[in-house]
Amino acid sequence: MIQLQAVTKEYRMGSETIHALRNVDIDIMPGEYIAIIGPSGSGKSTLMNIVGCLDTASRGAYTLAGTSVGKLAGDRLATVRNETIGFVFQSFNLLPRLNARENVELPLIYAGVRKTARRQRAMNMLERVGLKDRVTHKPNELSGGQRQRVAIARALATNPPVLLADEPTGALDTHTGVEIMALLEELNREGTTLIVVTHDIELALRATRRIHLRDGEIIQEEVS
Amino acid sequence: MGRRSLWESARMSVRSIAGSPVRAGLTALGVMIGVASVISLVALGRGAEQEVSKNLQQLGSNLLMIYSGEPRGTALVRTNTANIRPTLTPTDLEAIRSFDSELLNYAAPASTSNAQVQFENRNAAVTVFGTTPEYTEIRNFRPAFGTFFTHADVESRTHVVAIGMQVYRDLFTPGTDPVGRAIRVNGVSFTVVGVMEEKGEAAQDNSVLIPISSYQRRISGDSAFQMIAVQATSPDVMRQLQSQIEEHLLRLHRMPTMDSADFYVVNQLDLLSTVEGVAGTFTLMLASIAAISLVVGGIGIMNIMLVSVTERTREIGIRMALGARRQDITIQFLAEAVLIAIAGGLIGIALGVAGSWAVYRFARIPSEITILSVGTAFGFSVLIGLFFGGYPAWRASRLNPIEALRYE
Repeated sequence: MIQLQAVTKEYRMGSETIHALRNVDIDIMPGEYIAIIGPSGSGKSTLMNIVGCLDTASRGAYTLAGTSVGKLAGDRLATVRNETIGFVFQSFNLLPRLNARENVELPLIYAGVRKTARRQRAMNMLERVGLKDRVTHKPNELSGGQRQRVAIARALATNPPVLLADEPTGALDTHTGVEIMALLEELNREGTTLIVVTHDIELALRATRRIHLRDGEIIQEEVS
Repeated sequence: MGRRSLWESARMSVRSIAGSPVRAGLTALGVMIGVASVISLVALGRGAEQEVSKNLQQLGSNLLMIYSGEPRGTALVRTNTANIRPTLTPTDLEAIRSFDSELLNYAAPASTSNAQVQFENRNAAVTVFGTTPEYTEIRNFRPAFGTFFTHADVESRTHVVAIGMQVYRDLFTPGTDPVGRAIRVNGVSFTVVGVMEEKGEAAQDNSVLIPISSYQRRISGDSAFQMIAVQATSPDVMRQLQSQIEEHLLRLHRMPTMDSADFYVVNQLDLLSTVEGVAGTFTLMLASIAAISLVVGGIGIMNIMLVSVTERTREIGIRMALGARRQDITIQFLAEAVLIAIAGGLIGIALGVAGSWAVYRFARIPSEITILSVGTAFGFSVLIGLFFGGYPAWRASRLNPIEALRYE
């Protein structure tokens, strides 16, 4: 599903070159549940951006769902994101002016889905995450857990094979966090590849495989 | 990128504009004022153009004026010819009258001087015209009451007079029938035959008209005329007629060229095109000044759109993460700028039309709204939206999604 070979990411900061990632090799099979773990500055955000096609590697090869995305131009990457990756962010990243249904419709607009089909699909997704009765609520009328459910519904809208969750429980209380993780894990059991990026060991322990990063390098991989 | 995506962008823009109506309104204000000023100033310019043309047409149609002396100014009808030495002779008049009727409808001699008129104990300072009955046709100046004097009156040097409306008011108590009454013109008794229609111009309303023969005997003592007024059969033959007149009169006056001639010809058509040309330039100048405010309005749109792009950096990042391509982002912001400009343009058109109507209604300054000016103003507001929205939209589309997502 996801295959990174010797991926390196460098940034230039003035005269200095910062190695955010060094020679990272990762191979993720379809339907896996992976946690990427490491302290801040370990390179996990950079890794997530590359895996999520928001950024491209300086060197190395990245194959996503059979497509080599390493050298794709911006607009092609946008299409790959739209079709292949569902993002779940720590801070939800919902558009405050749009209601729950309209937020879920956003990726479908960029996928070119017609209005009625789009609306129907958004309703189905919201029902799937248990928010059938909140479709016309704006984000500020929803609790944190509900907002994250809307975000998950949005991530699922184009039916992508990969869910990429960046600290999905970071802004939630423990109880709500557990509920959200349970929802994500349920989706994983239904076949979606789930990648959780976190610095929380306890959260990482729920995954079937953990990739530890430090200073831009994989220092440990373990399977539970 | 299909129509659907454009439609979606337009919908998003409408939502975004509706989300901050005050800001959108203030942004559109510049274009609004620009469009309104283009439309109302062009309307005023066009109105002035029409008014000037109308005034010129009112002097008579297809009019040529032959004046004694050296060319003085470009006025078609000179309001004061009292001190011009007459050089045009009855022979000249006869020569012109014998021209082809394909070219010429009428020719009438005229001389004027200042005179004192008197009726009972009232008197007035007027211009006295000596002329022939054709003059009423040529100048489109007819009696409103009573009649004009006839060719027979001219032949027999009758002391009859047609008086201007202002003269009637000055000499007679309202309601009095002046026809048949005797007034004194420079002390000589003339019988009133009619009152001329009101033209709204002192030169005509404050004049009295008498047979040219009586004028020559009683007022000037000279058999020459100061002017000959000529009406051509159509605008197309006016230049031809003018050169024919010049040619004939030069020969009669034994003069080589028009430069040394003791007469000159003013052609209504030339005058009309000159005046219209000047008025057109004036309109264009007004429009250009107004167009500057339209451009300033466009800069206002660019300013606010740049602020909007910065404020919505995170939104742009989210949209990009969800699969928006650069063109999707470009079109979204471009659509917003164009919609604001169009809304401003439409309101501006309404204001401009209302403004020129109000100016006409309350100040009686004529104005003419043309489809062209409305269309141009609208087209310009769309272009301004595209042009000044283009840079902010391009900036938005070039944002790095990672940095945009991190933007607080």
